[in-house]
Amino acid sequence: MSANAAPARRHRRDLVDVALRVWGVLVYAFLFLPILVIVAYSFNNGRAMLVWSGVGLDGYRTGITDPTIQDAVKTSIVAATGTALIATVLGSFAGIALARRKGKWTVLFLALVFLVLVTPEIVDAIALLIWYVRLGGPFGPKASIPAVSYGMIRLWAGHSLFATAVVTLIVRARLQGLDETLEEAAADLYAPPARRFRQITLPLMFPAVLAGALLAFALSLDDTIISSFVSVAGASPWPVYVFSAVRNVLRPEIASVSTLLLMVTLIAIASVAIALRRGGQTGEDVAKTMTVGG
Amino acid sequence: MAPRDADAGRGARRIRAPRFTMALPAWIWFVFFFTLPVLWIVYYSFGYKPDLYHPIATDKLSLAAYKEAFSSAFLHVFSQTLQISILGTTLCLLIGFPFAYWLATRVAPRWRGLLLGLVIVPFFVNFLVRTIGWFILLSPNGPVSSLLQRWGIRSEPLHLLETRGAVQLGVVYNYLALMILPLFVTLDRLDPAMREASKDLGAGRWKTFRQVTLPLAAPGIVAGLLLVFIPLTGDYITALVLGGAKGNMAGVMVASQFTLAQDWALGAAQAVILVAMILGTVAVFALIAVAVRAIARASRRITLPAIAEGTA
Repeated sequence: MSANAAPARRHRRDLVDVALRVWGVLVYAFLFLPILVIVAYSFNNGRAMLVWSGVGLDGYRTGITDPTIQDAVKTSIVAATGTALIATVLGSFAGIALARRKGKWTVLFLALVFLVLVTPEIVDAIALLIWYVRLGGPFGPKASIPAVSYGMIRLWAGHSLFATAVVTLIVRARLQGLDETLEEAAADLYAPPARRFRQITLPLMFPAVLAGALLAFALSLDDTIISSFVSVAGASPWPVYVFSAVRNVLRPEIASVSTLLLMVTLIAIASVAIALRRGGQTGEDVAKTMTVGG
Repeated sequence: MAPRDADAGRGARRIRAPRFTMALPAWIWFVFFFTLPVLWIVYYSFGYKPDLYHPIATDKLSLAAYKEAFSSAFLHVFSQTLQISILGTTLCLLIGFPFAYWLATRVAPRWRGLLLGLVIVPFFVNFLVRTIGWFILLSPNGPVSSLLQRWGIRSEPLHLLETRGAVQLGVVYNYLALMILPLFVTLDRLDPAMREASKDLGAGRWKTFRQVTLPLAAPGIVAGLLLVFIPLTGDYITALVLGGAKGNMAGVMVASQFTLAQDWALGAAQAVILVAMILGTVAVFALIAVAVRAIARASRRITLPAIAEGTA
């Protein structure tokens, strides 16, 4: 902070600074350790992941060409895209309503959102499985919706619960932090509601919507528990494939595909960050937008 | 609250939709895919398993499943889960706070964005795969074990997997970021002038930390504790991959009633107890926190002489 502190105090401050910096480095090491292990073992040429038998690209070759893995990754991406869409639309509107149309209903709705967030995923998973089986229709094997399998519908509905709750809270927080006067001014200048929304509210809440959409996408990609309970053969996402491998035998291609997915994610995130930066945000703003919703 | 809607003036002519209209789609979604299925589980928890081939019957409702869920074997798993999650949440706070404090106050703003981003990079790798990373690290023929043997530190392979310690490590790892992010947000918003003012008024570093930084960071601490404790207690994957029989957690127990034992009534009762346990623990700690704060405030109350106000 201040460079002109008394020398004795400065010495002590330096000690604390050094300790904090060492702690920071240690925490990063802890956070990255298992990831580095996965990346290292993705180059294991053996048939079993745990038995090291030389460096090579066999895992990558198998991972890219295996049709089951291809399907699993494709399913994951389709599921995450649908989830992000559903959660962003439902959550954004709910967030606007919570921030701008408060009333007696808000308490009730927030209580429901809170319950969605605190219920352990395993409970959601078993509840949804039983619910889908009972409902049948579009959620059962006799579904007759063209182009979409009932397994995918199950995944979309299941993944979008938590994601919608998260988007709702992020959008609400963003709008509550912004003064309503801008929207009022637009109304005073005779902007009709639709135009007010498009030209004022939407740009204001955009960082939150973007953060929410990214988060919903990431949550869906990461979801293992709900997926492993509700997914069906033919539409089972990547984590479910890994899950069955954990129970049977772990092969290096799991590490290889995970490494590739990490690379793709990082590139995607970096391009969004660069786009936001071009849009005039500082590096810190960008990181905050994408991690904590602005 | 007040009728500040911009169309209030002109809108007298048209019929206004209820205020919750925009939240209605989300509401319906939650009720249909969350409330109803969960209520169904609660209903099943009063049922029973009729025979080997049927997972559930509800023709007569009773508390039999709850009685079974509270039997000693299952009760042990619930108490172990609570111990793991309380210790895990505490460890996340102890590890995460100095880290977030360093990131928010000591790192140059230029680097802060990048370093904050780095915190979440590991979480772009699937939860399960991250846990497999620890599985490899801890396994008897994994890198740690073989290095220790090669250097002669240990003569036999490490047996860290399938222990409670492994689960404890795994949960702290998997939920640490959920502690760091809210702590960073509050500490980052904290004006450095507050700490400088405290110093100028003669407070030492420790006193400044205790009386200025910590109270101001309280909202972030509470958010972090909740964000970590709630999913950690319901965790299923970490314990399944790293825990084995000795590191069992409630989530694994609930799941196994549906995947293996096919006793839905018992599984449903255990699920209800798990949720109640989470909400109950949060409520107890919230009461304790409120009480502690009230006592701290009462003991620290100072009455300023009138003259101080005049000169301030």
